[in-house]
Amino acid sequence: MNAITIQAHDDNGAGRQCVSRRAFLLSSGAIVSLAGLGIPGLVDAAGTPLQALRATYPRQRIGKLSALAKGKPVHFKYPYPSVDNILVKLGAPAGGGIGVELDVVAFNLQCTHMGGPLHGSYKEAHQMLGPCPLHLTTFDLTRHGMVVAGHGTESLPQIVLEVAGDDIHAVGVMGLIYGYAHNVTGSRRG
Amino acid sequence: MATENNPISFAVYAKDYVPVPPKDAQVLTTACEYCTVACGYKVYRWPVGKEGGVRAGDNALKADLPAGGVMVPWASPSQHNVVRYQGKPHHVLVIPDFAATVVNPGGDHSIRGGTLAQKCYNPENRTSERLLYPMMRVRGTLMPVSWDLATEAMADISKYVLEKYGEHAWGIKMYSYQYFENTYAITKLGMTSIGTPSIAPHDKCSNTNDATGLDDAGVDSFAASYEDWGMAEVCFFSGVDPYETKTTLFTEWIMHGKTPDKKCIFVTPHMTTGVAWGVKNGGIWLPIIPGTDTILHNALARVIIENKWQDQEFIDKWIANSWEVDSGYGRGTRNTGWQWRTTWGTWQSDWGDYQKFILGRDEHKLENAAKITGCKAEDIRRAAELIAKPRPNGARPKTSFMLEKGNYWSNNYMNTTSLSALGLICGAGNRPGRMISRGGGHQRGMVSAGGGPWWMDPEKYPGRRKKSFNLDRWMVDGKLKFAWVFGTTWFAAMMASQELQDAAFRMTRANPHQIGSLDRKAIFETLKARVDSGGMVFVDSDIYPVEPLGTQIADIVLPAATWGEEDFTRCNSERRLRLYSKFYDPPGEAKPDWWAVQKFAHKMGFSSYDWKNSNDVFEEAARFSRGGVLNYHPLAVKAKEMGVKGHELLRTYGTTGIQTPIRVRDGELVGTQRLHDPTNNWGEMEAAEVQSPFMHAFSTHSGKAILLKSPWDFPGWIQFYEAVKPRTAKGEIWVTNGRINETWQSGFDDLRKPYLAQRWPYPMLIVNPADATKRGVESGDFVQVYNDTVYVQTGQPQGVLDADLNFNNLMKEGHIKTTTGQFVAVAIVSDEMREGVAMANFNYPQAPANSVCHAVPDPVTNNYRYKLGRGVLTKVGESPYKKSFTSMSLKPRNII
Repeated sequence: MNAITIQAHDDNGAGRQCVSRRAFLLSSGAIVSLAGLGIPGLVDAAGTPLQALRATYPRQRIGKLSALAKGKPVHFKYPYPSVDNILVKLGAPAGGGIGVELDVVAFNLQCTHMGGPLHGSYKEAHQMLGPCPLHLTTFDLTRHGMVVAGHGTESLPQIVLEVAGDDIHAVGVMGLIYGYAHNVTGSRRG
Repeated sequence: MATENNPISFAVYAKDYVPVPPKDAQVLTTACEYCTVACGYKVYRWPVGKEGGVRAGDNALKADLPAGGVMVPWASPSQHNVVRYQGKPHHVLVIPDFAATVVNPGGDHSIRGGTLAQKCYNPENRTSERLLYPMMRVRGTLMPVSWDLATEAMADISKYVLEKYGEHAWGIKMYSYQYFENTYAITKLGMTSIGTPSIAPHDKCSNTNDATGLDDAGVDSFAASYEDWGMAEVCFFSGVDPYETKTTLFTEWIMHGKTPDKKCIFVTPHMTTGVAWGVKNGGIWLPIIPGTDTILHNALARVIIENKWQDQEFIDKWIANSWEVDSGYGRGTRNTGWQWRTTWGTWQSDWGDYQKFILGRDEHKLENAAKITGCKAEDIRRAAELIAKPRPNGARPKTSFMLEKGNYWSNNYMNTTSLSALGLICGAGNRPGRMISRGGGHQRGMVSAGGGPWWMDPEKYPGRRKKSFNLDRWMVDGKLKFAWVFGTTWFAAMMASQELQDAAFRMTRANPHQIGSLDRKAIFETLKARVDSGGMVFVDSDIYPVEPLGTQIADIVLPAATWGEEDFTRCNSERRLRLYSKFYDPPGEAKPDWWAVQKFAHKMGFSSYDWKNSNDVFEEAARFSRGGVLNYHPLAVKAKEMGVKGHELLRTYGTTGIQTPIRVRDGELVGTQRLHDPTNNWGEMEAAEVQSPFMHAFSTHSGKAILLKSPWDFPGWIQFYEAVKPRTAKGEIWVTNGRINETWQSGFDDLRKPYLAQRWPYPMLIVNPADATKRGVESGDFVQVYNDTVYVQTGQPQGVLDADLNFNNLMKEGHIKTTTGQFVAVAIVSDEMREGVAMANFNYPQAPANSVCHAVPDPVTNNYRYKLGRGVLTKVGESPYKKSFTSMSLKPRNII
């Protein structure tokens, strides 16, 4: 097994209410060595009791339209405290976008290939996330998180957003979050 | 608002669940169906109606779900499908082998292999288009028939054609990679039983070698192992970005491996993802003008020789001197594919002569080479330093050289001779981390029964030597009366594609003699009248209806069973042999091609086609692999000793497999990691193995490699190159072609997989912004590429004098005709392309980019110059993808 080194940076500290150990490591600019499978210590779920899945997606206020600056992602957790996402105003209309310009979108931050962290990789000029530090996959945030180049076999899970006045609410997830078999039990099929 | 302007052109809504395999799910090993790397995969199979639990003890993944962290065992929704197994519906997960220690350690994988489950037949999705039963074209429409009638009709007309027109008139166009069992059966039929020279593989017009200059230098194209790429400190990538076409080789062995901080040099007009990564990590992008690689290689050699950076110790030991070049009937230049007398002195050299050649020609000077290649002189010089200059501590850099189709499909012979010479003077070729190899395209799945009557080829080189058979030209000229095509588009894959398919159509559907009833005798009379009136008969074996061969042209279409539907075997590009397990039932009456061949052989009355299963073919073929780099005969022998089937013994090797050629030591099978390595010389053999000299020395008579000269003004090259350059007065630019990471080959599977079809719903054309702006083209526009002068070689020209087969002479003698070609693609405007060069998807039947390329093979090797298309770009209109949010990202590939 090859040791893989990930250098991660933070986009923006705002919106980080609950900093998990993983988020802390990834946002502190630390160089994190991941040696193979399991990676004890990196992930808060490792070694802890299994996460109980929700029956349905919660409705959760994650920010305000008026507080978003173009190209500056805001981090939030959804639908579980261990799941990192960004809310970003792209400056270009996008699939699933909200706001007057339909350019506000939210996406999960774990690569759909092998789970690499996409923190700090937003490319404002192209409205893309990536490259993933593990194997360089990039994602197009104007097209529902579609893989541009690389290996993810799914688009990046997109957080479904609704607007109520100035408030932005997360209300669901399109796509399976890396590492999960079901995002919520209500979506389970046989 | 934006939604009104953004059509839903193609939308797949992402699932947020995937079934969990129960702990008693059956697990089988396989390897990826697609690129040459062949990552190891596991198939989890269990009956519909059950599901595993989220605790590690309750599922077959042995993982708690959700699994926290990265690189954990996980299946995405695209890795699931429901198939039929023993007639009952079963869930399958096809996921990379997370326990793999070779090829794709830890379960790395590509997007193509990662979606393998989606290729399995399931009538609920586009795999419902699979061919389900044999069909015969009746007045234009394909009608179901039995296997018996289909093969009887084939045998009836075959016997007539063989009797009246001879073996030449009966041909095969076949994949060279789709598993040992099938390729052996097909070549046994064609070469041994029928005895025809009219056989060509999927990627060539004739049965010739690929990287011919490597062969002539004595370097096997697949000598390196993935570990070698991992160990290299510097990689020189010629005409290839392995990220796009050999994904896991790049993401595991180039980005990581033993030397993760290696420096990479990329020679390609397209800055793809791997190139951008390489440049960011201290490497170099040499955005070459198509076709000029030879000059670049020679200029690099000149910088190295001028500075005495060559590996003199290696040269003294391993480079043939002039006597050794001439010796025996080995692999010296005089016994290669090119006639020795006519070229004597053109190519061959020794170290002294090679230096004189490199230093004596003006075009090899840095500033001149920069002008011809379009690369910056300082970049060429820096590249020479990286690959050859001893480091401050005196150590030589460990440099490996990879080439692929951008190299040998633009100037087949000279790009490969010049690259092999460059690599050899840098000390590469036979030791760990210092190798010269192809990256590889498809996997290595050819075991040929051999024995073909190549002396019957109508073509010849100047002098006495026979030339390999050009099946395209033979067909266009109306000499082929019966063709059986196995698993290839034929036309889109070859040059001047539209001209080829016009010819095929003219001789089949446009012929007045069309099958009108399914009476066997009536069919024969019709087809007999067809071939006697200038027409021909096509049979197409494939898994899907192939456009236009299967859908419009073939008289008989046969349904093939494929990956996952039969136990098959083959090697990857480091010669690693694995069993590709059968795990579900083929659809309808689909049968593996070896079975179809056997059925036909019985109708022909041929004996010794008595295979009961694919293992029987595997064991019979084993002895035909002896002496080659894919030798697995010792495994078949050992299986027999153990009283087990060959397939079953191989199955025990799982996703690790064993690297061929297989040897035996202390009674155990031992693989061969790299070729030409002197440490492979074990002396005595202990079992039924073959200790071929190429295992521990170079593939020449002397065991030493041969330095080959590559003069830019060689008339067999330069006349063609001058003729096919874009004509700026017409507004033409180079229109080259190739593959990108997210799709494989013609897209036969990928364009039917929901996720990948959404990513690439239509073929692309990547255009530099400067070229696009001049033509009013924006990203998302449909663009036509049109070449009003596509050169096509006609007839089977015979060389007598030296110059006879060069382009100008062929033109003068009436052996070149001109035609036109076009295709339409969706523009992606991006500075990742070099200005003056556009890049299209290769081999997409709906947009045959090869239509604008010239069907005039390299006169030295009979390989086409696939990458040298040209054309005028014209905007057709906006595609729906221009503004769609749901399909076809138009973003650049070089974002790092």
